[in-house]
Amino acid sequence: MSTSATPTPAAPPDPVRWSLPARLVTAVSGTPALVLKIALLALVNAAAIWAGAHLANAEKWPALVVLVVSTVAIDVVYLAPRRAVPLKYLLPGMVFLLAFQVIPILYTAQIAFTNYSTGHILVKDEAIATIRETSLAAPPNGSTYTLAPAFDSDRELVLLLVDDATGETYVGTRDGLKPLPREGTTVEDGLVTAAAGYRIVTGPALFALDRQLSNYRVPVQGGAVRPEGIDGAVELRPTLRYDPQSDTFTRIGNGRVFRDNGEGSYAAASGDTLEPGWKTGVGWHNFSRVLNDRLIRGPFLRVFAWTVVFAALTVSLSFALGLLLAITLDKKFRFQRFYRTVFVIPYAIPSFLTLLVWAGLLNDDFGVVNNILGTSIPWLFDPWWAKVSIIIVSLWLTFPYFFLVSLGALQSIPSELVEAARVDGAGPWQVFRRITLPLLLVAVAPLLIASFAFNFNNFNNIFLLTGGNPPTEDQSIAGATDILISYTYKLAFAAGKGTDYALASTISIFIFLIVALISTLAFWRSKSLEALS
Amino acid sequence: MSRKRTRRVGTLALMAACSAAILVAAPGALARVDSVQTVSATPTFVIWTDRDREADIKSLAEAWARPRGLTVQVIAKAEQNNIRSDFVTVQAANAPDVITGAHDWVGELASNGSILPISPRQTVLKQIPKYTRDAFSYGKTVSQLYGMPTHLENVGLFVNTQLAKVPKNWADLEKQALAFKRKGGGRVGIDVQQGTGGDAYHMYPFFSGLCGYVFGKTKGGALNPKDVGLDNKVFMRNAPMIDRWNKLGLVNSKIDNNTASQLFTSKKAAFWVTGPWNIDAVRKAGIRFRIVQLPRIKCASVPFLGVGGMMVSRFARTHGLESAAKDFVASYMASAAAQNTLTVKNGRYPANTLAAKNVKDVALRQIGQAGAGGVPMPNIKEMASVWNDLGLAWVKSTRGTGATKAQPSFRAAARAIRQKIAQG
Repeated sequence: MSTSATPTPAAPPDPVRWSLPARLVTAVSGTPALVLKIALLALVNAAAIWAGAHLANAEKWPALVVLVVSTVAIDVVYLAPRRAVPLKYLLPGMVFLLAFQVIPILYTAQIAFTNYSTGHILVKDEAIATIRETSLAAPPNGSTYTLAPAFDSDRELVLLLVDDATGETYVGTRDGLKPLPREGTTVEDGLVTAAAGYRIVTGPALFALDRQLSNYRVPVQGGAVRPEGIDGAVELRPTLRYDPQSDTFTRIGNGRVFRDNGEGSYAAASGDTLEPGWKTGVGWHNFSRVLNDRLIRGPFLRVFAWTVVFAALTVSLSFALGLLLAITLDKKFRFQRFYRTVFVIPYAIPSFLTLLVWAGLLNDDFGVVNNILGTSIPWLFDPWWAKVSIIIVSLWLTFPYFFLVSLGALQSIPSELVEAARVDGAGPWQVFRRITLPLLLVAVAPLLIASFAFNFNNFNNIFLLTGGNPPTEDQSIAGATDILISYTYKLAFAAGKGTDYALASTISIFIFLIVALISTLAFWRSKSLEALS
Repeated sequence: MSRKRTRRVGTLALMAACSAAILVAAPGALARVDSVQTVSATPTFVIWTDRDREADIKSLAEAWARPRGLTVQVIAKAEQNNIRSDFVTVQAANAPDVITGAHDWVGELASNGSILPISPRQTVLKQIPKYTRDAFSYGKTVSQLYGMPTHLENVGLFVNTQLAKVPKNWADLEKQALAFKRKGGGRVGIDVQQGTGGDAYHMYPFFSGLCGYVFGKTKGGALNPKDVGLDNKVFMRNAPMIDRWNKLGLVNSKIDNNTASQLFTSKKAAFWVTGPWNIDAVRKAGIRFRIVQLPRIKCASVPFLGVGGMMVSRFARTHGLESAAKDFVASYMASAAAQNTLTVKNGRYPANTLAAKNVKDVALRQIGQAGAGGVPMPNIKEMASVWNDLGLAWVKSTRGTGATKAQPSFRAAARAIRQKIAQG
């Protein structure tokens, strides 16, 4: 390793013209590079130690192991001299691949096998505690009290209470309620402010008592008096009794029993469940729901068909238009650069802006498009026209990409081939059909497949332009322009009873499988093109 | 030791030193771990709110916290709905102790077990109208209060008094609106936003005016998801009126959110069904207006009521801040003074009756009156199935030419909702 400083600028110009990246690399090699490397690694290690402390604190041991192993691996790879050079380049990519691709996919798959949804967020113990708490009811003539927490002569926490209805004063302890003698007790505005033998807690000290206070129960006939906040207490009675032995809740009054139904809820024989439930594994339940539930399966085929048509049309039309423009602008003429720039503009504007603007332009009665054309085409309100609108706007957003790609790919086709074909007597169409297009496809086919996969899940285009609407006559959750991913969104967030993350994950897995299958088939097909070159 | 070895050790030592330096320099990086580990006497009290209320909540919370020796942190979410969605998935260490939100979240949040019930003092409850407390009440077994109402929201009929007179009754409104529309030039009858996705919230006064309801009530007074009233007999008998409105163009589902406000501010609409959030925009456009309740059609045309409020997060208990959170929500934020501070700048009607008496803004008072007898949006989670279908039934029946007759479209919506609730 060289220890000299960067080369002096006075050195004679190098006969070989180095590329900019290469020059940048040499500029920061040597000692400055070492310092930079150590600084960056120190930053990574510091972050790892910080994260590790948090993980250890939260007792997330598997995650901690992964963190330690990967941090040590990073240090070893970058500090080992002259070894593991390829790894130096691969490691950052691998870390990001793991963090942003693999882990989310695993997490999604894991959720698909649970009942994670509204009402099933907690773990079972938390759910039991919450059911017990929310089943406490204020009895019809139950008392409410004004509360002043205090310490008695034994430094035990007690509640000094004033009954809101009668004005009677009490001392509440963990043993029960007993009257507080009026003598030596001062009550101001319904609140005990002084009492002989007790030290009333006020100010900041109150909040240090939080855990003690919120767990404090004064047993009374049939229930308990519980502090509410710092200045009130209420009498509450349970309406459900929990039996840890049999793991059941029994309703006090009618004796109805609620048992763990294996789906993350306590349910009675009638099917009534207690809230909240908890998150638990449900095996293949969600997958069978997707396949068997009429509500989900009903529109699935229709939505799937439109998704394929939407993605295929968007890609093929955009490619056709992009290629046409690229061929037109491949010839030298005036303002060529200007036109090239103009056609890239739709690509340069953030697509969500474009989509919202188009949604306004296409408004059936008040939009600019119908105004200018003097028509009254139901662009967004008719199921067929809405599909046309989606395709037009998607075309607008996608063709510049293929225009740029084709422009580049056209340059790379050797002109000799075209000339040879001309000499052999081929017309312009034949040249395009037999020479240009096949050679172009070799380069562009993988991009077409990628674009198809992207559009297959192009949530933004659908959601921002039509929201999947207009509604169809079959009154299903899916509108006329919903694609699978927007349909998933509606299923998960706008149907049934709240949000259903588990079902959404399950459908995402189905979509993943469909896209993977189509892409694999397409890549496999496009390999035959490579034989050309 | 060889020279090479020495240098390698030197490199390692240098790096370790740098790591340590960064950790020490990063503000409280390790100190924060400490505070999670050992429960300090006063953990920071965290409130989640939206951008509009951030400043007011902050000043209120700080005034509350100072004498109590607490420190508060107010976190504003970009969209009000993010408070709810982020709250479902948040980890305990980053979780709020109190959130602001709308009453119709209560069904979801309470059935998740994410919020704690509160029992405010009687003296406090006297100042908070019962219907607003009912809006925040939920429970399959026992009805519990899950939040403190702080402010109200509802739509009313904004009348441009330079273009039209305040309608005496429904027939008068219809006559004036149609006469105004016939002047042409893109003028519309009654300006109310729908768009392709529909808007059951803004259409609700028309829906209730034709005697429709969403959920009936059980004997105990709780909302009954098994009684869906989208196709109740009386509404079905009145539904052909919708077809007439559609034919005359009195209401038009093609008006979306943006178009609706453009039409009113550019004087292409004399009547606009909207809420307090648009009062400022209308004033800025220099329009003289009055707000009234939509006139009675066949039944009282009452709007949906949205009750805003504050809720205690279940994490307040984990953080050892439960009594503090309950004190803040159930007592402090219920006071007239706090509610006036919270609502004045945001242009909302306070829930506290004493605070409501202090409302000086004429338009806000009118909006409050326009909400009289309003129906709180159902807070049970089955409502998720209703919004879409009810909105779309209106869209289908008021899209001008090619519209579906109202009777079949509302009947289909009711059927779809029942099916989703049964299977969901």
